[in-house]
Amino acid sequence: MKVALTVNGEAREATIWPGESLLVMLRDRLGLPGSKNACEQGECGSCAVLLDGELVCSCLVLAAQAEGRAVVTVEGLAANGELHPVQRAFVEAGAVQCGFCTPGLVVAAADLLDSNATPTDDEIREALAGNLCRCTGYAKIIDAVKAAGTAAAGSP
Amino acid sequence: MTAIGESVPRQDAEAKLRGTAVYGIDYEEPHYLHGKILRATVPAARIVRLDTSKAEQIPGVLAIVTAQDVPGRWGFATVDQPLLADGAIRYEGEPIAAVAAETWNQARAALKAIELGLEPLDVVGTMDEALAPHARLIHPDWESYEMRPSFPREGNVATVVELERGDPDAGFAAADVVVEGEYHAPRHHQASIEPRVCTARYEDGTYVIHTSTQVPFGVRDGAAGYLGVRPSDVRVIVPTVGGGFGGKLLPTLEPIASLLARKANRPVKLVNTRKEEFLSGCPRENAVIRIRTALSKAGEILAHESEVLMDNGAYGGEQPFVAGLSPLIVCSNYRTDSIRHQTKLVYTNTPPTGPFRGVLATYAVFAVERHADEIAKTLGMDRIEFRRQNLYREGDKCATGQVLEGVAFEETLDRVEELAPWKTMTGSKKPYRGVGVACAIWNTNSAPGGSTIKLNEDGTASLTTGATEIGTGAIAQALPQIVAAELGVSVDDVFVSEPDTSVGLFDGGAQGGRTTYMAGTATKKAAGEVREQILDVAAGLLEADRGDLELSDGAVLVTGAPDRKVSLSKVARVAQATDGPMVGSGSHAHPPIEFESGCISGSVINGFTGATYHTHLAEVEVDPDTGQVTILRYVVAQDVGRAINPQAIEGQIDGGVLQGIGYALFEDLRLVDGVCVDWGFGTYRLPTAADMPEIEIALVEVPDPVGAYGVKGAAEAPIIPVAGAIANAVADAIGKPVNSIPLTPFAVLEAIHS
Repeated sequence: MKVALTVNGEAREATIWPGESLLVMLRDRLGLPGSKNACEQGECGSCAVLLDGELVCSCLVLAAQAEGRAVVTVEGLAANGELHPVQRAFVEAGAVQCGFCTPGLVVAAADLLDSNATPTDDEIREALAGNLCRCTGYAKIIDAVKAAGTAAAGSP
Repeated sequence: MTAIGESVPRQDAEAKLRGTAVYGIDYEEPHYLHGKILRATVPAARIVRLDTSKAEQIPGVLAIVTAQDVPGRWGFATVDQPLLADGAIRYEGEPIAAVAAETWNQARAALKAIELGLEPLDVVGTMDEALAPHARLIHPDWESYEMRPSFPREGNVATVVELERGDPDAGFAAADVVVEGEYHAPRHHQASIEPRVCTARYEDGTYVIHTSTQVPFGVRDGAAGYLGVRPSDVRVIVPTVGGGFGGKLLPTLEPIASLLARKANRPVKLVNTRKEEFLSGCPRENAVIRIRTALSKAGEILAHESEVLMDNGAYGGEQPFVAGLSPLIVCSNYRTDSIRHQTKLVYTNTPPTGPFRGVLATYAVFAVERHADEIAKTLGMDRIEFRRQNLYREGDKCATGQVLEGVAFEETLDRVEELAPWKTMTGSKKPYRGVGVACAIWNTNSAPGGSTIKLNEDGTASLTTGATEIGTGAIAQALPQIVAAELGVSVDDVFVSEPDTSVGLFDGGAQGGRTTYMAGTATKKAAGEVREQILDVAAGLLEADRGDLELSDGAVLVTGAPDRKVSLSKVARVAQATDGPMVGSGSHAHPPIEFESGCISGSVINGFTGATYHTHLAEVEVDPDTGQVTILRYVVAQDVGRAINPQAIEGQIDGGVLQGIGYALFEDLRLVDGVCVDWGFGTYRLPTAADMPEIEIALVEVPDPVGAYGVKGAAEAPIIPVAGAIANAVADAIGKPVNSIPLTPFAVLEAIHS
């Protein structure tokens, strides 16, 4: 079957198997391997994307459900090639290690800052609790999200 | 030398953040086939029938392999493991057959069409069952298996490590007090977020494997061993690796993918599902540790006796070598010259266990440090005072009699004291609040390594090494920083190529905190060679004395005469035209260590290399109604020799401590009768952002005599003292010993009411 949707602002079409997840379509059909397939059962958050602005695990969404909707993946965060403030903050804070969970984390962090530019530590922890990272211990990720929020909010 | 000690960002950070980094799971070859593995669903059985004829008829299926295609066994230490089950199933998850097909669905259909007939065998699911008299032998032919080198072993005991030094019997006879304890630790899964994955092809007589591994040369050797070819007939290339923690040290999928690729004559990609990761994942072994200590009233240790049982699972893997480290850590931290120790590694019908960050030390230090608190309590001594009195000092001997130099226990205790004064922390005890410390000495893996550096015509440098980046920053930060410092170029002008066993010099792999220590030191030597050549050429061009030259900002300058300089680009081009391209190489191995030979058997690890020292402090609160442990404060003082990149090391400490918190409080890969209960993140819980306390970090720099700039291993160790520190804090909070981890709410409630 065919699916037509908007991905990172571009109209795209893909021919899919009906049982296929949005994650598989993004990675295998649309050439967007940034979203990662780490558990494929909605437990790790590495495949997080925005579906019509809502944060979802793309492994738990059928590709067919994305028909006519707008998806933003990690590849779509950097506008005109410039890193998103969250991505820039991750570089500076040293919040990346192996990086496999990073795409999901930056999508989730960008989503958080979109609705709450200056989250508290607890709000960040709660917002990111669905994204498993085995390397970093999250400390520098939390620092990065705070720094990105503060920078965006124009505070010192 | 400005790049040393600077927190420069990772070279690979942007690609990882943009989602453009190519991991093993993203790597694809043209016309590749999808591989899948038929795995055992029971822990013990005899295979009486294996018929693949129907599966071969499934459309799109191009290859099916079984033990018939790959007879024989291989093993890192003991040659005990078939690639595909050879008539017997010894663990749930063991590969029996593998298929390669055009599509994933076809591969899955083929697996279902394989006909398998099994006769069940009694499951030897625990170490107690395996050690019981007349227990069924998991490897009835164990005596015929080759072991390199040959260690004592018998039946279900895969190896025995023994150490005896001094006169422990006299020590116990003279003791005022004897303290005994038994400690238990669970299986602990590495759970790297990227599963194991590889793509293999067979081309002109060579197996070319792209794989997510920590040790490309180990995979090369293991694959060659199974495939019956020379190591050089296997070429291993490593794309970006999504975490390892020890879980990607041994060859697992690679030889199977290679076999399929050769049979199908097409590239084959194999990816573990998360369930396969848990079933076949070589987790840290569950273990039992027993310690007895003889003491004088004054708190002097007169003798130490200990025994460890490590669950090997069904096959040896690297574990017989890991077990050899046991006496160094279990009979450790505290000065005594009378020691008796035995470690047994026990086969069971469970998934093979394997190396995980801080191999064996996570539970050994938990036991040693719980025991130290019990000793202090028994003697009525303050816990820190006991440690300060007995911890190794400069010139003391470790368990094997090696004389320790550069001992930094005092420094780490002092730094923790500065951040969290002990008297203040313990002065006014509140109900169900407690404080614990744990100290550890740890080894830096000193497997050799080598690097090659070329100076490019544009004045940049390219580094080639078999050393592998798995997320720690050793390759993405530390090694480029070393090259930049030695050649006076920007870190951005140092390019590191991906590991390729047919190109790079041998490297012992991303394990044991060794990459910066060993590959970094080799890289400094390589850069030194290039630097000498640069100086030779530049001295001629500048008509200056070599001794008056310095390398800075991509140029060679005459000291004190800033106008007299020549760019590295010009140096490289002149050199290339006159002598040929400029290249330097560096090889590094650790000098042998001295110890009291004859005191230890069953081990190839006889002392510490690049020893590091650690003190962790935890303050916790226990909810007496639920048993929930909350960490209020966590302090780390870690000796790193020299911090090449402090931010990267902090990141390793944060991550290691959180893994340790998971281990201490809830991670437990449960098995019932050999069957794995936890095979997803739903029941095997990993720590989340909500579980992370704030961690206060003090880096201690006591230089190593061998490592470049004094560097020692930094990334592996921070996981090690965590369970000990937290358990000691919980014991302090509830006033009861807690000698089994994880300290789940249930376990803590049971301890409170015991």
